[in-house]
Amino acid sequence: MSGPALVFEGASYAYEEAARESVSDVSLTVDAGEWVGVTGPTNSGKSTLCLLAMGLAPHFFGGRLRGKVTVLGRQTETVSVIERSSEVGLLFQNPFTQVSGARERVDEEVAFGPECHGVPSEDVAARVEEAMTLVGIAHLACRHPLDLSGGQLQRLALAGLLAMRPKLLLLDEPTSQLDPAGTSAIFEVLGGLHGRGTTIVMVEHRLETLSELCARVVVMAGGRVLADGAPGDVFNREAVQQRAGMPVFARLAREAALPGPLPVTLNAAVAAFARNGFG
Amino acid sequence: MAGGLSLYAEGHSLLHRAHPLTKGVLTLSAIALAFTAPSATWVAGVLAVLLVLVAFAGVIRRLLAVAVAILLPITVLLFVVQGFANASNRTVVFGLGPIVYYREGLAFAAFAALRIACLVCATFLFSFTTRPADISEALMQRGLSPRMGYVLQSALQIIPQTLEMAGRIQDAQRARGLETEGSLRRRARAYLPLMLPLVLSSLVATQERAMALEVRGFGLPVKRIARYAFRDTTPQHVLRWALALAVPAAIVARVVGWR
Repeated sequence: MSGPALVFEGASYAYEEAARESVSDVSLTVDAGEWVGVTGPTNSGKSTLCLLAMGLAPHFFGGRLRGKVTVLGRQTETVSVIERSSEVGLLFQNPFTQVSGARERVDEEVAFGPECHGVPSEDVAARVEEAMTLVGIAHLACRHPLDLSGGQLQRLALAGLLAMRPKLLLLDEPTSQLDPAGTSAIFEVLGGLHGRGTTIVMVEHRLETLSELCARVVVMAGGRVLADGAPGDVFNREAVQQRAGMPVFARLAREAALPGPLPVTLNAAVAAFARNGFG
Repeated sequence: MAGGLSLYAEGHSLLHRAHPLTKGVLTLSAIALAFTAPSATWVAGVLAVLLVLVAFAGVIRRLLAVAVAILLPITVLLFVVQGFANASNRTVVFGLGPIVYYREGLAFAAFAALRIACLVCATFLFSFTTRPADISEALMQRGLSPRMGYVLQSALQIIPQTLEMAGRIQDAQRARGLETEGSLRRRARAYLPLMLPLVLSSLVATQERAMALEVRGFGLPVKRIARYAFRDTTPQHVLRWALALAVPAAIVARVVGWR
C-alpha cells in the first residue's frame, strides 16, 4: 500500500442538533502502515474521529461535516459505510453491540462479515479459523456468543473484524474489558498485523501502552488536535500534561526530580534512572 | 449468562439430519391434521406417529419433561372443567351428591387433550431436532432475503439478550444497595428502577448494533453464498409434497362428510 491511508483536511463535525462541534478543524494524515495512538480527556472527540474515518459520521448520524475526510484515496462522503467495510474495520468500545445478535456460535459470528461480503465458503472457513486463532478464541468456537465474558466478547468482536482483512483498523479502546494478560495478547496480535502492513488508528487511555506501541501519538482536547508526534516529544509538552496527563514513568521521573526530557516508556525510564544514579 | 433460546438437543438421528424444511412441513402438517381430523381415534393415530418419531430421534426424555410441565396441567384442567360443566353433558359417569361428572364432557376433554398433545409433541419434536439458525439458513437458500433471515435469527436471540442486559443492570443496582429480593411488593418496587435504564440501554444498543452491522457489510448487494448445504433427497421431496397435500385433502374430506 502506498500513499496516506487516512487524511483529515480541516475537518469539523457536529452531530445533528448539537450546539457545538465534536471535532473542530482537524488536519491529520496517517500514512499507510502506520500505527497511530489517539488519546485525550473524555469528550475530546476521539470516538467521533473514528466515526468520521469509518464514514458513520455523517452517513449514519447525519449532522454537519465541513472540510474533507479521505480514506484509502476516497472521500468518505462519496462512499457508503457498507461499501467501505471491506477495507476499513471499526471496533467499538462496547463489544456486546458489535456482535450481530443473530448467530448461535462463536465461529458463525466471526463468519458473519465475510459472508455479508460474499466470500466463498471455503475461504470464509479459513479466515474464521485464522482470526479466531489470532485473538485466542479458537477453543470457544462452539460456544454461544452470549455465554462469553466481556473480555472474550471483545476478542470475538476483534476476530469478526480481522476475518474481513481490513487495510485500515480503527480501534476505539480495544482492550477496555480485558485483563492484563488478555491485553498483552491483543497488542501482540495488533503488532503482528502492523508488521504485515495494516494501518492502525487506536484510541487508548493507557498512555504507557500508547508510548510503548505507537511511534506516533495524537492528543485530542476540546475536539481539536492538541499535539501530534512521537510519544517522547508529545508527553513532555506542558499543555498535554495538563489536559491528558502523562505516562506513569514520566510521573515517576518528575517525582524523582530527574532532568528532562521525561521518559515515557519502561526502557527509557530504566535508562534515565540509571543515568542519574538510581539503582 | 443467557445462552440463546434454542431447545436443540445434539443428536445424529435421521430426523436430526433431515432437511429443516422437511421437518417444518412435517410439524405443520401434523398439527393441521390433528385439528382437522373428525375423531379422537384419528388424532390418536397422528399422536402415535409423532411419538414414534420422538422415540426415533432419541428425545423422549426431554419430551416427557415438557409434557409434565405443559400438558399435564392443561389436561387435568380440561377433564375437570369439561366433565362437570360442558354444555352438552347428558350421560352421568359418577356423582357425589350435587357434583356430577358426565361422559360427553369426558369425551370432549379427551379429544381436545389429544389435539393439544399433538401440537406440543410436533412443535417440540421440531425444536429438539432443528437448530434455529438452520431454519433461517434453509429459508434463505430457498429465496428468503438475507434481511428477513437476519430478522428471523435475531428475533430468537432478543429475549436472552434482553435478559442478559437486565441482569447486568440489576446487579449494578443491587451493588448500590437496591433491594431486589424479598416480598412480592419489594420485588415489584425493584422493577421500576430497572425498566428505565433497560429501555434506554436497549435503544442505545439497537443503534450501536445497526452501526456495527453496517461496519461488517450487512446489506451489501452481493450474491449470497450458502453457509452450508443441507442434505435433501428425493424421498424427502416426496414426503414434503405428500404431507403438504394431505392437509387440503383432509379439509376437503371433512367438508364432504368425513366423520
